[in-house]
Amino acid sequence: MRNTIRVERAIKNITQADLADLINVSRQTINTIESNKYVPSTVLALKIARVFGKTVEEIFLLDEED
Amino acid sequence: MKTRFLFPNWFRYLGLACFLLHLPVMLLFNQYHDMDSRAPGLFNGPHVFFIFTTLMVTVGLFFFAFSKEKVEDEQIMQLRRDSLQWAVYFNYVVLITTLIFTEHMEMGHILMLNMWTLLLIFIFRFQWGIIRNNWLANKEV
Repeated sequence: MRNTIRVERAIKNITQADLADLINVSRQTINTIESNKYVPSTVLALKIARVFGKTVEEIFLLDEED
Repeated sequence: MKTRFLFPNWFRYLGLACFLLHLPVMLLFNQYHDMDSRAPGLFNGPHVFFIFTTLMVTVGLFFFAFSKEKVEDEQIMQLRRDSLQWAVYFNYVVLITTLIFTEHMEMGHILMLNMWTLLLIFIFRFQWGIIRNNWLANKEV
C-alpha cells in the first residue's frame, strides 16, 4: 500500500510533527507510514483523511502486490 | 490509544533501580554466592540472597521491558508485538542449541539464565526498533 500523505502535507504546509499532534501519535509513526514501513489501522487512516479533508481512498492506495 | 497490560512509564526507572540495587548486594554478600540457593528452608541467608539478586534482576528487567513509552500509539504496540515474537523465537533457538551442546550438570544454570534471556532479547530488539525509528524520523527533518 502506498499513500500521498507527504504530498498532502506539502499542500497544507504542515510538518510531520504537526500532523502527529493533530491525531495524537508520535512523529516516528507518521514517518514510518509515509515511508511505507507501517500500515496504519482503519481508525488512524480515517483520522489522517479527516485532517486533510479527503476520503481515505484519496490518500491510501493499493499497490499491485496487495 | 488504550493500552492494556502495561506498567506506567515510571516503572522503567523502578526496573532500572531494581537492577542497579542488586549490584551492591551481590558484592557485599557474595559469600552466599557459592552456596546452593535451593538449600532447604525459606528466608535463610542464601534464600534471601537469591531473592535480592536473581529475582531482583528478573523483576527489574520485567518492569523495564513492559512499561509504557512516553507516546503510546499503535505503531509502538506493533513494534512491541513484533519484538516479543522475535524474542520468543530467538530465545528458543538459543535455548535448544545450548541444551544440545551442554553436559547435564550445567543444565540448571542454562535454565536459570533463560529466565533473563527472553526479557533481554526483547528489550534489545524493542529499543533498537525505537532508536531506528527515531533516527529515520530525525533524518527526515
